[in-house]
Amino acid sequence: MKKKAFFICAAMLILLSITPEARGDVDLFGYYEAQVMGAEVRGRFYQLFANKLRIDLKADLSSSVSFAANFDYITYHGKKQWNILDFLSSEITSKVPEAMRPLYVIPFSDRHFLDNAYLRLSFKPFDLTLGKQQVSLGTGYVWNPVDVFNIKDILDPTYEQPGHNAVRADVPIGLGSTLTALYSPGDEWENSAKLLQFKTRISRFDFAVTGIEKTWVFHDYTVFDAALMSFQELPERRRLLGASTAGELLGLGVWAEYAYNWMETTDDFYELVAGADYTFDFQTYFLIEYFRSTLGKSDYRDYTLNDWMRSFAQEQKAVSRDQAYFLIQHPATDLMTVGLSAVCSLSDHSLALVPMVMYSFSQNVDIYAYLNWNTGKEGTYFASTMGNGGFIRVRIYF
Amino acid sequence: MPKKIMLGFSIFILVSGLYSQELTGEKIIQKVNDLINVETSYSKSKMTITTTSGQKRTFISESWTKDKGEKSLIRYLKPVRVKDQAVLMLNNADDIWMFFPRTQRVRKLATHAKKQKMQGSDFSYEDMGGGGEFREDFEARRLEDEKKNDYDCYKVELTRKPGSDISYSRLLIWVIKENFYPIVIEYFDEKDPTYLQKTLTQSDIEEIDGIPTAKKMVMQNLNDQTQTVMEVLEIEYDMELDDRMFTERNLKR
Repeated sequence: MKKKAFFICAAMLILLSITPEARGDVDLFGYYEAQVMGAEVRGRFYQLFANKLRIDLKADLSSSVSFAANFDYITYHGKKQWNILDFLSSEITSKVPEAMRPLYVIPFSDRHFLDNAYLRLSFKPFDLTLGKQQVSLGTGYVWNPVDVFNIKDILDPTYEQPGHNAVRADVPIGLGSTLTALYSPGDEWENSAKLLQFKTRISRFDFAVTGIEKTWVFHDYTVFDAALMSFQELPERRRLLGASTAGELLGLGVWAEYAYNWMETTDDFYELVAGADYTFDFQTYFLIEYFRSTLGKSDYRDYTLNDWMRSFAQEQKAVSRDQAYFLIQHPATDLMTVGLSAVCSLSDHSLALVPMVMYSFSQNVDIYAYLNWNTGKEGTYFASTMGNGGFIRVRIYF
Repeated sequence: MPKKIMLGFSIFILVSGLYSQELTGEKIIQKVNDLINVETSYSKSKMTITTTSGQKRTFISESWTKDKGEKSLIRYLKPVRVKDQAVLMLNNADDIWMFFPRTQRVRKLATHAKKQKMQGSDFSYEDMGGGGEFREDFEARRLEDEKKNDYDCYKVELTRKPGSDISYSRLLIWVIKENFYPIVIEYFDEKDPTYLQKTLTQSDIEEIDGIPTAKKMVMQNLNDQTQTVMEVLEIEYDMELDDRMFTERNLKR
């Protein structure tokens, strides 16, 4: 592990030490991010520090060939192990056998990995992208029913997502339409993700229809497989047909997304998003988004350990059935934006408030501060027993 | 012979005087539009924002326009924080798409987003995009000619047409008589047509490919006491630009 880290550091130093002349048309850039997170959980205060170094490479090898990649190196300090059971209601945790309690720990281990690395070949009739790449689907701001590759963090939905290994072809049809085919290989054809999307523009609206087949791996977090040293895997084929749109209605920016999921063994479900945003003359920006997932439960007394664990492990987008997100932002000064977001479960009437400040410290240094205040009663999606906290993030671009 | 010359000269003076008087506000604005909205253009610009606290933020971007500014594409080169971010504006900025390179996500923005400041500058997207907005969104009225920044200018008042969603209730434009180049534009508050919000001053005017071009633009925000200077580093007009340049496919390049 240490050897691998050493070689990656050495490779990065060599890349950084190459003169611009020698690098030719290769762009080398990235950022360093320091983050301190604090949370008060049941009377105890915990801290977690993270350092992230991201190095990007980009090369336009010719007018029709480009290459892009980034390495991430992340270290954690402070409380590096968080037991999910500490955040859940006694109703749920009392059913967990004592011997299994240590299994619900989420470790924050130092990691370094090739996040994205892809080659883009641009032919006249289509673009072909090969390698580990960003796959961003849907028009929703916080939730994307048609995106089976990523689940956004509801407290920080614009944060970058990991790359996915895939072969992707984008075929433009006329000036306003695109047909996209994507294949993300698994261990065999059956387990690989296949996507087909048609995107077009009608009047002031963008429309997309998406079909996806993917093997979805749920876990049963009440059964531990000692041989695999992990919770029992429940893989099943998921077929999704979805539609999304974004445009303008009565002066408001509006968007919507819908996806129906046919599951091989468990119950079929659908997810729906509808949102709107507006910028007032005095520069205040307002956004509202509603999300429904029939995978979530409408009564919080029905939430199970599996629901919570699948939500924390990003196997499903929400624990509760209906939720709403509000965001209001205003440029307090020309360098500082203040905002407040609120996420609430309409099913269990719990609410999390997230005040935020974004400050441009200098040309390439940004500072972000977020607080997180859960107000719901015990057992609900945003229960106060989940803890309150926040983080400060400083990002330096180079 | 001298009498004939005198007569000819008098007729010239009379005709040019009449011509000058016949130039209505609408005609002046039409000529301004024809001049500044070239068929196609490419430019590389440096934008320097001076904040209230005196700090500076510098952005370098490339932009392409087509069909007299009806289509435009802006791509940021510097600083690294916004590198490769791009904005596509079609239908005179009524349709806006923004590309975020780190997530490879394209987001469609509604027209209200035009009111937002471009990268925190004193230029809004509305100020940057749109070829025919002067004529489409405003009614023009010629005021008394004035001298402005040492140029003899026509002064034109533009009043927002009913139903237009443009963010300014009124504009005052000073247009150089010699070449119809707008040298100063004053932007008045959306609701209060007497409240001056921003002033754009264009200077360092050079003829590029036969077209008068300001190499420096200064937008002063009197509300926020900030200033943004836009300097043109490179500019080219009337080159071949394919319509495919102004598509989502190219936005993501």
